[in-house]
Amino acid sequence: MSRSYDLVIAGSGSVGVPLAYYCAKKGLKVCVVDREASWGRGQNRAAIGGLRATHSDPAKIRICQESIKIVSSLEAEEGLDVEWRRGGYLFVAYDAEREASFRELLVAQKAAGLGIDWVGPERVRELCPGIREEGLRGGTFSPGDGYASTLMTGTAFHALAARAGVEFRFGEEIRGFDQEGGRITRMRSSSSEYSAGLYVDAAGAQAAELAATAGVQIPVRPDCHEAGVTEPVARFMEPMLVDTRSDAESGNYYFYQAATGQVVFCITPRPQVWGTDKDSTSSFLPLCVRRMLELYPRLRGLKVRRTWRGMYPMTPDGQPIVGYAREAPNLLLAAGMCGQGFMIGPGLGRILAEAIAGGSKDYGFIFDQLSPYRKFEGMEMLE
Amino acid sequence: MNRIERHPIVAPPEGRREVAFRFDGSELRGYEGEMLSSALFANGVRRFSTHHKDGAPQGIFCANGQCSQCAILVDGLSRKACVTPLAAGMDLRTLEGLPALPEPSEGLAASRPRRLEAEVLVIGGGPSGLGAAIELAKLGMRVVVADDKESLGGKLVLQTHKFFGSEADCYAGTRGIDIARKLSSELASYPNATILSGSPVVGLYKDRVAGIYEGGSSYTLVGFQGLVVAAGARERSILFPGNDLPGVYGAGAFQTLVNRDLVRPAKRVLIVGSGNVGLIGAYHALQAGIEVAGIVELLPKVNGYKVHGDKIVRMGVPIHLSTTVVSVEGEGKVERATVAQVGPDFKPLLETARTYEVDTVLVATGLSPCDEFYRQARSFGFDAVVAGDAEEIAEASSALFGGRIAALALAKIMGRKVELDASWAAKREILKSRPGERITRETEVPGKEWKPVFFCDEEIPCNPCSTVCPSGCIELSGRLGDMRDLPRLAKGGCKGCTACVAACPGLAISLVRALEGPWCEVALPYEFEAPFEPGSRLGLLDRDGGELEEAELLGKSFSKKYKTWILRFKVSAANAPKAIGIRVQAPEATASLPSPRFSCAADDAVVCRCERVSFGELVRFVKENGIRDINQLKSIRAGMGACGSKTCSTIYPAVFRAAGVDPAEVTAGSLRPLAVEVPMGDIARGRGAAGTEGGRK
Repeated sequence: MSRSYDLVIAGSGSVGVPLAYYCAKKGLKVCVVDREASWGRGQNRAAIGGLRATHSDPAKIRICQESIKIVSSLEAEEGLDVEWRRGGYLFVAYDAEREASFRELLVAQKAAGLGIDWVGPERVRELCPGIREEGLRGGTFSPGDGYASTLMTGTAFHALAARAGVEFRFGEEIRGFDQEGGRITRMRSSSSEYSAGLYVDAAGAQAAELAATAGVQIPVRPDCHEAGVTEPVARFMEPMLVDTRSDAESGNYYFYQAATGQVVFCITPRPQVWGTDKDSTSSFLPLCVRRMLELYPRLRGLKVRRTWRGMYPMTPDGQPIVGYAREAPNLLLAAGMCGQGFMIGPGLGRILAEAIAGGSKDYGFIFDQLSPYRKFEGMEMLE
Repeated sequence: MNRIERHPIVAPPEGRREVAFRFDGSELRGYEGEMLSSALFANGVRRFSTHHKDGAPQGIFCANGQCSQCAILVDGLSRKACVTPLAAGMDLRTLEGLPALPEPSEGLAASRPRRLEAEVLVIGGGPSGLGAAIELAKLGMRVVVADDKESLGGKLVLQTHKFFGSEADCYAGTRGIDIARKLSSELASYPNATILSGSPVVGLYKDRVAGIYEGGSSYTLVGFQGLVVAAGARERSILFPGNDLPGVYGAGAFQTLVNRDLVRPAKRVLIVGSGNVGLIGAYHALQAGIEVAGIVELLPKVNGYKVHGDKIVRMGVPIHLSTTVVSVEGEGKVERATVAQVGPDFKPLLETARTYEVDTVLVATGLSPCDEFYRQARSFGFDAVVAGDAEEIAEASSALFGGRIAALALAKIMGRKVELDASWAAKREILKSRPGERITRETEVPGKEWKPVFFCDEEIPCNPCSTVCPSGCIELSGRLGDMRDLPRLAKGGCKGCTACVAACPGLAISLVRALEGPWCEVALPYEFEAPFEPGSRLGLLDRDGGELEEAELLGKSFSKKYKTWILRFKVSAANAPKAIGIRVQAPEATASLPSPRFSCAADDAVVCRCERVSFGELVRFVKENGIRDINQLKSIRAGMGACGSKTCSTIYPAVFRAAGVDPAEVTAGSLRPLAVEVPMGDIARGRGAAGTEGGRK
């Protein structure tokens, strides 16, 4: 059967659901289609919950500032508790080289208006009592950043979107787009066909496959990351603690204590594990826990409760892909979040809704910077 | 002290060392190595924590390491009381809300996890796991058996009753405790079998590796090619207001406290559920000197074996059919339980409510298979089989066969040439069969010669009486042609040896012979302390617990093999063929209050015990958000606790039904490691690290 809308969004994840909500609020008739049984079951459920604006490039900074504004006010404005906590982000340095590069980055971050600064070892110890002191040089701390429950945030946006009239179609495998005369005419799923004025590819780890059905090639390739959560304990640390060092088996890792007391953690494996497997492997816990305890020996009595695995839909330069497809101008790409969909989604949703509804033109620089047709050079410094 | 000093079946372990420990500042005493929950119950303590969500008092529920409700602070670390052994000088404290970040005293000894390679990993060392491991070991395969308890045998070690089944196949008539010992020593005799006891499997990983919390102190990875999941079953939680009050716990937990640890955890219990587990629970309670106010059963019929139910009723425990629990209440602990009859829709008829003063409510409403590892293994595409209760809830006797059959099936999948004995599968089917036909027997007429009288009139898989008789006087009816057939007298020649009386697990055989005049001599089994002297008079009961007469005790003897007393009475000729029971419990123990006393709010029943999410909260959330995916319940933390949704998952269908959603439309929750929480320091410390060496066997 065929259904028609103003806007059809492929993917009910971190990006698709907030976007649907903000578009519906603008009066658009919106439908979200997802192969999973419910919202946020792709990478949203796998995200650990960090929300920071302290990136190294203006577009992501701007989008995430918006996200923080939205998520931090969900409770006050909508009565929806998502366990947001403004605990800040702390990038720690244990060597001169890292200190130098963090300090260098501070210049640009401050210029972008970010509330971030260098803090000495004493302040680091205050923020994270029990952190290894040997060799600790300090770090950059951004008290305006924070974290929230990804599950509750996903459910909150779903509730808002449903209330605003968004139609959700779950459990439908999206087969692809049909085109005619250079424009998409419909999106086909395992059980329905959808037609709309505008189609959005917010399909996360499946975004590249989906775009390809419209003849659009985007360099999005998922790799696997594992994460874990501990039992809850009384509050002992505030910030999201990031250690950007790497060793033979792993890159950076980070963890924070959620509003409800659990420590949530994850690590970047080395080499990268390409693919879409969602099942846990035996190497993650020994690896991640070893590195966490090196940094924070005081955690050794804390019990690990659960682990899971999700994907970072990566792009070659670590930046998202946002923009209209040249091959199909009524296809909007909102993909390649590189593991940051949770923090980018709400802000990007609101900004894109403005753009789609023809409102503010202030976001041109975002489309320029995140264009699907950029050169994809370098790698984001704090990715 | 609430210790059982004398027990008709279980002797208190010898050589236990009594040690001192502290609880909330007071000095208490317990036995070294016993589980903290037992040591505390023995001292009258059953409130271990207050929940961080709302301060509700919490105690044990499963006492089996599954549910996590028994958290307590041990030397500053939050631990499960039911699986943490007591050591001298321990400082235990009520865990009030969230614990502080634990500060372990020992330093950090980081190393890699120990790594073992197995051809087959067997998860669980109960009857099916042991049966499976023994078969695999016989084939020469490298087997690792991991079990979360200190001693192998699973639930066998909790069974003080004699087993149903047949002697030849599954040790019928032998008590579970003794069967466990036989099987574990057989397995230990194979050099190619490695036994990791006290070592729960905590995670199954996609790279064909299992994470094991070895000895509860270090993390070990076991690589394997094939997997046997024989993890048993866990107690089903049920919904009623007060279902998480300290004093409401599973019948299995009760068995653990009473039969394994010889603790008397209660004065008077109410049992919910009349399956074999509930019936046995009542029997265990009486043996331990605990009153049983009654058994309530939602269905209009006793759910377990009829001989079992009859036996319990004869002991003086009423079974209330078509009855449910309305509410369990008390100040921070169970003080009373209110039950009511149900209408055809299984909803309580509150005008029939009755309140019993009890300090404990045992939940025996069935078991649910611990099959998560199997389901995961299948989804990963591993070579895996499932056996025992993890496959299908049934008697331990069938689990033994199930394990052996599953093991050979796995060996075959893994390319071994094995011969499957077809008779095993047939026997297993028989052993796990539900009770069959009921047959009405004619009343026996006693004669000069001894003669057995059978009070066994329902076809169940059980035949020891027919195999123990030295004179071959007892045969099976032959109606079905297997051990489910009812026993009957084959021929005369009974010498009155009472082997059949002592061996019958249902206590459903008497021996009768006519004496001079209008009298008969009747020999009856008795599985309690029997401090009676010949000449004393005891009240005899018929099969259904009806009183017959006060009869004179002529003599008594004790069968050591079956740990059963045989009491011989002088009984009137009219009553002799009917007498089968001796009342154990006085009727006062089963009286309800003159008028019911309860305040019922069914929505308050707790679904997710770990995170204390109530039935009402969940139903509202499902309705408001149109939930059709169990994973979304995590948004209000249901299933996010330490137990990993093991306990609440069986209740979710009821939640969805109450919200007007067909549970069949609902997507199942995902399964993720870890099944049991493990401290980071122990994950980072392999068995090879200094001070932690020492393999287990």
